[in-house]
Amino acid sequence: MRGPLLKIYKTLHTWTGLASSIALFIAFYAGALTMFKEPLERWSTPINADRQWISEAQYPNLIAQLIHNRSDAARSFTVNMIEQEHTPAPITWRKPLSEMRGGPSEGWSATLDDNGSLVVTQFEPSAMAELIDLLHQTAGIPGTAGHHAFGVYVLGVICLLYVLAIVSGFIVLLPTLIKDFFALRKTKNPKRFWLDAHNLVGITSLPFHIVIALTVIVFAFHDQIYASLGKLVYGERPSFEQPAPEPSTYRLEELLMPQELVKKVHAIAPTFVAREVSYNNIQTTRASVRIAGEDDDHMLRGYNRGFVTLNPYTGEILDKDYLPGHEEGYIQPVITFFSLHFGSFGGDPIRWMYFFLGISGSFLFYTGNLLWIESRRKRQRANQALVTQDKNAYLIANLTVGACWGSVAAISFAMAAGKWLQSVGDDPNVWYYWTYYSVFFACIAWTFWRGAARAVVELLYLCAITTALIPITGLIALVFKQSPLWLHTSSDLLLVEFTALVSTAIFIFMAKRTKQHLKTVPTDSVWYYPSSIVQSENSEREVINATNAEQKPNAI
Amino acid sequence: MAANPSKRAPKYAEIKPDWLSKSLAGLCIGFFLAVALSGLFAWWGPGGISADNKSQFNMWIVPPIWLTVFSFVYFFRDGMRAWLWLGGLTLVAFTALFLTRYGMGAW
Repeated sequence: MRGPLLKIYKTLHTWTGLASSIALFIAFYAGALTMFKEPLERWSTPINADRQWISEAQYPNLIAQLIHNRSDAARSFTVNMIEQEHTPAPITWRKPLSEMRGGPSEGWSATLDDNGSLVVTQFEPSAMAELIDLLHQTAGIPGTAGHHAFGVYVLGVICLLYVLAIVSGFIVLLPTLIKDFFALRKTKNPKRFWLDAHNLVGITSLPFHIVIALTVIVFAFHDQIYASLGKLVYGERPSFEQPAPEPSTYRLEELLMPQELVKKVHAIAPTFVAREVSYNNIQTTRASVRIAGEDDDHMLRGYNRGFVTLNPYTGEILDKDYLPGHEEGYIQPVITFFSLHFGSFGGDPIRWMYFFLGISGSFLFYTGNLLWIESRRKRQRANQALVTQDKNAYLIANLTVGACWGSVAAISFAMAAGKWLQSVGDDPNVWYYWTYYSVFFACIAWTFWRGAARAVVELLYLCAITTALIPITGLIALVFKQSPLWLHTSSDLLLVEFTALVSTAIFIFMAKRTKQHLKTVPTDSVWYYPSSIVQSENSEREVINATNAEQKPNAI
Repeated sequence: MAANPSKRAPKYAEIKPDWLSKSLAGLCIGFFLAVALSGLFAWWGPGGISADNKSQFNMWIVPPIWLTVFSFVYFFRDGMRAWLWLGGLTLVAFTALFLTRYGMGAW
């Protein structure tokens, strides 16, 4: 590998990295949280003291009454096999509000009262976890395009740049890889330390980043790729028209109950834990039942579920392509691609590993931008006129600090605010988006007003405060039992409060360290801000710094 | 990938960035080359064109091929060479693909 080529790839790394970093920071931070989407869904659902659960023996009664009384449910309904914080009733379904597939719909739930008669209630699941997932998929870029969020396409394009950034970063590092790999040098030039850290994290998580980038490109552009393959590879092959559905020849009394269907699945997949049993079109010839479940021993097609489809009357297994451990042929590598993105293999240990990989990804993108700024710094020479940094350096510094810490603070704030909004009787689902975006944009505006150097410390403290609101809200709920706030006390959900507490401490530590560090930055840095105290304390050191800078050639 | 590296002894210093032309080659021709190669795999790979669920797999392998081409396109000495080599390869791949489709009677 020779110099000119390395220089080309270094330039490529610089600009693709810069262009993709902020969106990727948000997507990765939210993605780390999405690893626990279901626990977060449970966590953000108020305690439901009136929930009426039923025994397996009551399923036939409930299902029969439901189909008889609610034609909108008869089309498709889901039996929730396990009672949890976010399952309002044994049966839930979505009632479509328009003919359009995937159009707006409203949530309903059904159970039996003590006398065995049907009780249906309208309900909407908490949108908090959904918001975080959306931020993960779109980086918060709003709008829709076709059946995708517009932001998904934007992230698809960003991931094209991201792949180029990964490969070019690796190529640039190759010649010095062995020498520099585990080196974390704390030299006079702080850039060295951040560069070493950036490289270390980048290299150790390289496979993860390649997998994420390529899968996101598929998630964004699969329609276009399928269309291209269809036209150019398969040609005009006849599509197989499904016969129009006709009324079912089975009687409803013959419908198999969830526990019987699960038994059929267990016969071939003993470790499969059924969670949701969805009956579809049961009154037609297209009747089917889809069982979604977990299996920590295998890779899963969904982010936390595998699937199997059966005939709801005969129990015959119609489709086990996505049944964990039963993938055959070409579906096996496909499941692997999905599962490697979702981290849906091996249960909680892998989920935590992906959580930390996600956070480390954010670290990579953040430090990448800091390095960009630092590499472009014009050095102040001793006894010479003050240099002014390029406007773009300030712009990138402001955007990086404002958008990155803004999204972190905003997510924490939305999580805590949801509980308070619910308590004052407002629907938090409407407000989650507003709370997120208002804090996010306020942070960016704040950074541009205050300057990145001051704002970075202030926003880190803001992150600490908004994150601390999460356990504080829980504590208030615990102390004031009469308050409408709530705290779920199952141990896995208390982990949310615990993680928030640890994160608060980390944010405070980061804020303190950053503030400390900023006192030592020379006047020619975008991180320098004139403050009388700082100046008098450090004026001597600045001169030394400036002299040092003069002697050193502008490294890298 | 250069045609004849020994005789003319090209200096590596001569490598040109040619950002626009190389990037466009990686983005556009890279994509079509990936589709053509995936298509050849669809017909000739294990199980043939009608293997179960194979279309999903064929779709999944497009981005890795595409992005491999895109990532390494800057190794070409200049943009012109990138277009000629990748364009040529894509042409060959599509010719093979269409011959295959014609031969298999699926036109």
